[in-house]
Amino acid sequence: MIDVPAVRRPRADLSVSAVLRFLLIERWVLLVILLGGLIAFDGARVQDFLTYDNLAGSTAFAVEVGILALAQLLVIVTGRGAIDLSVGSAVSLASVFFGECVTKFGLSLWPAVLLTVLFGLGLGAVNGFFVAVVGLPALIVTLATLFAYSSLALVITNTVPISDVPPKLFDLALYWHGIPRQTLLVYVPVIAIVWLLMRFTVFGRHLYGLGTNAVAERFAAGPVVLARFSAFAISGMLAGIVALVTSARFASARPDAGLNLELQSITIAVLGGVAITGGVGTVPPVVLATLLITLVNNGINLAGIDPIWQQAALGGILIGSALLNSFAGRRYGAT
Amino acid sequence: MAAPNQTAPAVADLLPRIRGYGWREALEAREATIAVVLVVMCTVMSIAYPQFRTLGNAQNILQAVAMTAIVGVGMTMVIVSGGIDVSVGSALSVCAVVVGMRLQDGAGVVEAIAVALAVGTAIGLLNGLLIGVGRIHSIIVTFGMLNILRVVSFKATGGKWLSGVPGSLSYFNDGTLLWLPFAWWMAMALGAVATYYLWRRPTGRHLYALGGNPETARLAGVAVLRRTIFVYAITGLFVGVASIVYVGGNTVIQTNVGVGFELRVIAAVVIGGTSILGGKGTVIGTLLGALLVGTIENALVVVNAKALYTGVILGGLILLTVGLDMLRRRARET
Repeated sequence: MIDVPAVRRPRADLSVSAVLRFLLIERWVLLVILLGGLIAFDGARVQDFLTYDNLAGSTAFAVEVGILALAQLLVIVTGRGAIDLSVGSAVSLASVFFGECVTKFGLSLWPAVLLTVLFGLGLGAVNGFFVAVVGLPALIVTLATLFAYSSLALVITNTVPISDVPPKLFDLALYWHGIPRQTLLVYVPVIAIVWLLMRFTVFGRHLYGLGTNAVAERFAAGPVVLARFSAFAISGMLAGIVALVTSARFASARPDAGLNLELQSITIAVLGGVAITGGVGTVPPVVLATLLITLVNNGINLAGIDPIWQQAALGGILIGSALLNSFAGRRYGAT
Repeated sequence: MAAPNQTAPAVADLLPRIRGYGWREALEAREATIAVVLVVMCTVMSIAYPQFRTLGNAQNILQAVAMTAIVGVGMTMVIVSGGIDVSVGSALSVCAVVVGMRLQDGAGVVEAIAVALAVGTAIGLLNGLLIGVGRIHSIIVTFGMLNILRVVSFKATGGKWLSGVPGSLSYFNDGTLLWLPFAWWMAMALGAVATYYLWRRPTGRHLYALGGNPETARLAGVAVLRRTIFVYAITGLFVGVASIVYVGGNTVIQTNVGVGFELRVIAAVVIGGTSILGGKGTVIGTLLGALLVGTIENALVVVNAKALYTGVILGGLILLTVGLDMLRRRARET
């Protein structure tokens, strides 16, 4: 349609506007700058911040919300207002399921772990069924399951955490050379798998296609229903994995384990450049956004500032970075 | 309506119906599904449980859903215009805390109301400016504001509960006028004005155009920036109204006021048939949606269901109502 002559890419356009454009428009560059600035600032001002033990150890708090942010990425990318509000409640319910497996049904650790992940997949599949097969709006479906899952978790346990979880699970929250094991054994593999899935598999490309233009995707014979269904199912499965991590960290299966995680995960996904309208978003900036928020919180804690400011920082960074992107986009041309 | 036995349809019938909204359309609307579910539920509950069919219980329901309904009216306009506002819960807490502190300092009723409306409108205006002038997606702005405003209200009270707030606004919570709670009258009045505005005023129709296709709306001469700022400011104003109702009913204002309120409001709006993608929806649907959620919650108390089950049943009924409507629509199309 458009007559494109041989693409001429200016080799090294170092004019001010080109550099600024690169710095401000590319989401990951902006996040790296913010991250660098934060580390420099906190490293100079906050005692014990810039130590290996602190930086490595703080990633323990990135695992849960980071994995859920990746789940949001998978879902939001499929477009048509897709969003998964139920991830937090799914974490709570899957935690309770895990606790019941090992206590009431007396399963040993590994079968229980496997069943919990499958259970999470099932919870996500419920969302996927209503959204993809029945065709209800994702916001309504996941709002309904948000209420339902969290309420079920409370009903089953009668609001009491299940604390006799097998101690072997707690090994997951131990450290390996100062790095929390859940970061190495869970978070990093999940990042790698989701990244590979989104970037290199046909399925991943279908997700982007679906989010960019669902009608075109259907005419291109893409598996519209299956892709949409799978995105929600995988999101649920990731919630099941997060449930195991929280159970290990708290040393108990809590019926409120996932409280407010849905809002945090959506915020981080959006900060990581996932367009709420679908079709846009990649794994690396979302991981960077997770790290940024984790380190901001860590700095606030170490500096002895009231932790309530963590919430304000989250909101401020979110709006601030979006404003910067928006103005830079208009000033230097959006990508 | 075309006359019977007419061979060729009149030109007027081929034109899209703009004014004609007959009983047939009314029956086919989502509002009808919800109204029927509501009526059936109330009938069954009234027959089975004498304590449900009392005037006092009806007043309880209306009083409980008034805040959701009031903010829902504004939220309907926001969602119809293609946006969303998830900051209303935190905004409510800021308004409630500020009003509570003014009342503690001996402010009169008029001043308290003025403060509530001003704070609410200011928050809404800020949302609108960030979204409209800053051109950021509404969900990003309002998610950010959700977090920031929560900190503002927490810091304003120093993290403590406000206790011993004078009850001078209590009429707005539990006062009744012609058998119905005053708060519900406010919801209906705001709903009526908003319905007229959305249905008949040109700028109201612009909101639907904006939600349907913002680019087309802009090219057709809709003042996009002004309409955008307006819907968020008006939602903020209504949050201020809701905070008056809240403070009127509570002498103790806790720090977690309005946590989850945004989800209740959005649930009411979306159950009421407003498309989350914009361009479609009515305020009447929202009021019915709020009533449905409130009636379900009340019914659960009346039948003495375990309070913990509320979420399961609420979630199930949301899916059922919206799913039924979807099936009905499909059956009609085929």
